[in-house]
Amino acid sequence: MKEKRKGPIGRAADLAEGFAATMRRMQREREPRLLVYDETGYARLVQPNGRGYQNLVETAERMVGLVEDAEAEGRPLRRVRGDAEAAGEPRRARSRRDAFAEEEDA
Amino acid sequence: MAPVLTPERTAERLCELSADVRAAVLLDAAGAPAGVHGVAKANSRELAELARELFEAVDRAHRDLPGGPPEQVEVQVDRGAVFASRTPRWTLAAVARRTALSSLLLMDLRAVLGELEHGRPIRRSVAASEEGAPGPASEEAAASESPVPELGQDAE
Repeated sequence: MKEKRKGPIGRAADLAEGFAATMRRMQREREPRLLVYDETGYARLVQPNGRGYQNLVETAERMVGLVEDAEAEGRPLRRVRGDAEAAGEPRRARSRRDAFAEEEDA
Repeated sequence: MAPVLTPERTAERLCELSADVRAAVLLDAAGAPAGVHGVAKANSRELAELARELFEAVDRAHRDLPGGPPEQVEVQVDRGAVFASRTPRWTLAAVARRTALSSLLLMDLRAVLGELEHGRPIRRSVAASEEGAPGPASEEAAASESPVPELGQDAE
């Protein structure tokens, strides 16, 4: 059984271990994963060095990219500060302080 | 009576059924697109082509598996996931969110393909609190109702 460390150094070490474990888990979740299922629903995990792995992952990435493009096209573009001014639209106050300053200026 | 599911509406039906599906494509036995949903018309042919390539790559690499050629594929990549299922007549592929639950999505794919091939409508539950939702009028009626209605009907 793992002996529990006591004291501030032990607590810091526990925190660091937890953080490292979280990072490892996040990294593992981001890694590509490929499974094939036969007609009975039996799943087989294809290892990264398995046959066709690279080809299948690339195809899936292209499919996801295609959908992302479609989603980006459907979404209204974010306007950056300065676009409105360049278009000749009146400048809008961005905060109460700005509004107050504009009133003062007027 | 529920309308019969057509190949043209199948991809859309899957997107309606599963909130995690972002786009879907249905291919016929020849690999030609029969219905696409979730991408622009200009990209639908490319999505269909990629879906066809997916199963071609699976067949090339995993044809000799003990259980026969794979019927379903799941590929999780960084920004999403791709799920595909096929029958002798149809192939249905879906691009989903990375967080999608594999078992649920694969079941949805099979259910939609089943509805398309056999015309079995998918049973969907409606929240009891929804207005006009079908269901028992009282608690007594609810208590007497079988939790598995199909079993009750078989016994009658």
